[in-house]
Amino acid sequence: MGALGNGTRGLAGGTDLVPLLRDGLVAADRLVDLRRVIPSGIDGTAIGAGTTLAELEADPQIPDALREACRLAASPQLRNMGTIGGNLLQATRCWYWRLNYPCRLHGGDVCHAREGQHREHAIFANDYCASAHPSDVAAALLALDATVETTRAAGPLAGLYRLPDDHDRNLVDLGADELITRIHYERPEQSVYLKAMDRKRWAFALVGVAAARYDDGVRLGLAGVAPIPWRLASLDDLEQATPLPGTAYKLELARALGRRAIAAVGG
Amino acid sequence: MLHAAVVRSPHAHARVRALDLSRAREAPGVRAVLAPGDCDALDETAEFEGRAVVAVAAETFGQARAAAELVEVEWEELEPLLDPEEAVRRGSLVGEPRRYERGGYERGLAEADAVVEAEYRTQTLNHNPLETHQCVCEWRGDGLDVYISTQYIWGVRDDVAAAFGLPPDKVRVICEYMGGGFGAKNGAGGYVTLAAELARRSGRPVRLALTRREENVGGGNRNATIQRVTAAAKADGTLTALGGEFICSLGWGGWLASTAGPMQLLHACENVRTVEYGAKLNLPAMAAFRAPGFVEGTWALECLLDKLAAELGLDPLELRRRNYANVDTMDGRPYSAKELLECYRRAEPHWERRHEVRARSDATWKRGVGLASQIWYGGGGPPSYAWVRVGSDGRANVVTAMQDIGTGTRTAMAQIAAEELGIRLERVQVQVGDSSRGPFASISGGSSTLPSMGPAVRAAAADAARQILEIAEQRFEREDGTLSLRGGEIVSPDGTTWPLEEITGLLEDGQILGKGARGPNPAGMRVLTFGVQVAEVAVDVETGEVVVERIYAVHDVGRVINPLGARSQIEGGIIQAMGHTFSEARLDDPHRGTVLTKTLDAYKLPTIADVPEIVCELIDKPDAQLTNLGSKGLGEPPIIPTAAAIANAIRDATGADVTSLPITREEILAALREARERERVGAPSA
Repeated sequence: MGALGNGTRGLAGGTDLVPLLRDGLVAADRLVDLRRVIPSGIDGTAIGAGTTLAELEADPQIPDALREACRLAASPQLRNMGTIGGNLLQATRCWYWRLNYPCRLHGGDVCHAREGQHREHAIFANDYCASAHPSDVAAALLALDATVETTRAAGPLAGLYRLPDDHDRNLVDLGADELITRIHYERPEQSVYLKAMDRKRWAFALVGVAAARYDDGVRLGLAGVAPIPWRLASLDDLEQATPLPGTAYKLELARALGRRAIAAVGG
Repeated sequence: MLHAAVVRSPHAHARVRALDLSRAREAPGVRAVLAPGDCDALDETAEFEGRAVVAVAAETFGQARAAAELVEVEWEELEPLLDPEEAVRRGSLVGEPRRYERGGYERGLAEADAVVEAEYRTQTLNHNPLETHQCVCEWRGDGLDVYISTQYIWGVRDDVAAAFGLPPDKVRVICEYMGGGFGAKNGAGGYVTLAAELARRSGRPVRLALTRREENVGGGNRNATIQRVTAAAKADGTLTALGGEFICSLGWGGWLASTAGPMQLLHACENVRTVEYGAKLNLPAMAAFRAPGFVEGTWALECLLDKLAAELGLDPLELRRRNYANVDTMDGRPYSAKELLECYRRAEPHWERRHEVRARSDATWKRGVGLASQIWYGGGGPPSYAWVRVGSDGRANVVTAMQDIGTGTRTAMAQIAAEELGIRLERVQVQVGDSSRGPFASISGGSSTLPSMGPAVRAAAADAARQILEIAEQRFEREDGTLSLRGGEIVSPDGTTWPLEEITGLLEDGQILGKGARGPNPAGMRVLTFGVQVAEVAVDVETGEVVVERIYAVHDVGRVINPLGARSQIEGGIIQAMGHTFSEARLDDPHRGTVLTKTLDAYKLPTIADVPEIVCELIDKPDAQLTNLGSKGLGEPPIIPTAAAIANAIRDATGADVTSLPITREEILAALREARERERVGAPSA
């Protein structure tokens, strides 16, 4: 692990890292192939971080919410390459960030999306940065009460993410030389993932809602609504949303999908 | 071969204050650098994002791109003009406003029992062909060879010759195959000038290929529109007035496509008034895009017609029939042929499905059916030429300097020659795509390749056939004009047949050379294409998801040459229309005028999962007045009515009036909300 950091990046599926390198958003002097280093495969409720989305999608013992989140993510080619660990760490799709506008996530002092084009952006925690987290898988894993094991520590998935501020613009709380190794989830009674997209396939979620039912109730995880994967205690929490003029429709989508998801898991 | 990279303005409106090329010139592999003043395609003032400022050629693309990044440009940013309505107010226009009026518009409004008005909008769309704009330029002595992805090799030849002051035949343009153009590749464009100049200075061939990002900014676009339209009719549905104001966001150039065209041409109406403005903005210029103007205009007109039908309580198909035009609506000329009534008749059973489709609605998924009519040009025209060479083996070679832009033109030309020569398709070879190896041929735009080239090929094949038969008639001592070619044989009316090779074999190394030219279109007649599409949709009224379940398309384009190729054109047009209707939009930053959707994850083309069941039908009746072939083009018609048919189906299913393309979740959720509100207050649905 000492090899990582200082201009060296770990490469697993490469479906996000390679475009980021190509676009100059990530710089690396060296790439280290992690595919034989990172655990891979499914063992009960433990998932190796190197497991591809295609493998998860195909495995009947994986809860429906996660399988469906994988199935509705990207395209078959990308799912064959992309790993679950990498998926949790993927960068935002915010066009301003991807085009290297000097926005807050790039160290600047403005969120261009707030005053600009933001129809794909956040309705929660969007004051500092309005980007929306793209991971369907993370939304499903939030609902599945997942914990993440890294080379240094283990903790709830929600703890992997942080909202950016002036002191720290990162959305992920992970050291440069730290790797996700395993994900553990709690097996639910029933679970589901519903996703609204601009087209039928191969698009990031406008809103994605995962619901999982446990003894003590239904847990909800959302994609596409906040700079980080977003957990809702209940649909009532949607009242706390702060949509921008161009994202008010996302609240309507979240309500409709949320109601449907809860009904689908018998909640 | 060298590779080129271009430094472009990142700003919509800016001036170069200082330019430092020293580091770029010294970068590894660099062989030529061009700056403003070196080439007309470079400029120190950028009136739109992506304006080329500096071009670099290097041994590899990586080196060229690295050198381009070393070019230091200090920009002075200027205020961009981005609002089309503001541009019209300020008189910032490309060309003059285009006004059209027939009859008395005000009188038509006064006579009406019902008047409906609406504002429709369409988005900026990028062509995004799989193959971006690209070329290789190589100087050979004082001549220039251009290998290029183009829809018009002769247009490129003339553009490049003019740019370098060369006699046109010193420029040779080659395009054997290409990966899509959709109207964006009708001419050379500045990037070819840059490649040719870099090649001239370096003495090496130079390849210049736009990156996907460059393509999404400067590759051309279908301009956005704002259309304020009015339709008025008697209680029986007779249209008494149609009017519209059309504001087209052209960007910094281009031309004003006819967005008012469908309103002027499609339905019979004596009183029509339209005005079109081409707003000149600090945005990349539009380019032709598969039925430019008519796609946008038909969307508004055909949605408005359904709104009118609802207001009058008339069946939308019946409303269109009642306003059927028997002669050209603009100048009273007869049509060379028009089978739109037959299209309506054949669409009827598909339209009738609406009762059964609606009945399959449930609490969340509402289903409905909508239709829209289509009109477009597509008659082609002269000049175009072809040669047909028949060798001693009885095989034919069609030679013409046209381009096959992926529409299967080669196959169609082979079919035409084979039919005329009475030989099997596989005995015909077609050579196209090289301006130095064949006669002048049509542009592949305006659905014109087949109707322009087909008759020339047929005439050339007929000329070759005539020569063969003359020899045969002498050889077999038959009267002139008694023999014919059929099934690879020379056939006499008395039943005697001789293998074709018995005559062509006499030639040894000689060849029969047939020549053909495209004649004029019929004088005093209007040549147009027609069609109808019927869409079936399901709308999830809670999430705004729309599933297009089925589209029936019937088009009248005269005689169909290749049924499989024709079906492919219809399917391709409808699939592209699915993108235009639901997911594609170039988004610009509203303050900076910079393009935000530069990659294919942000600019969302339709996927195969978005494609509905497509049922195609073609009238396939030759236009007896039009050429020796009776065929019109089908490249554009199928994309024209799809969006309106879908929107009308959404209205049928839910009562919601969508008025902006693309029909995103936010658009349809807002329209559904308005429809519910109308229902609540009991206002009329129109």
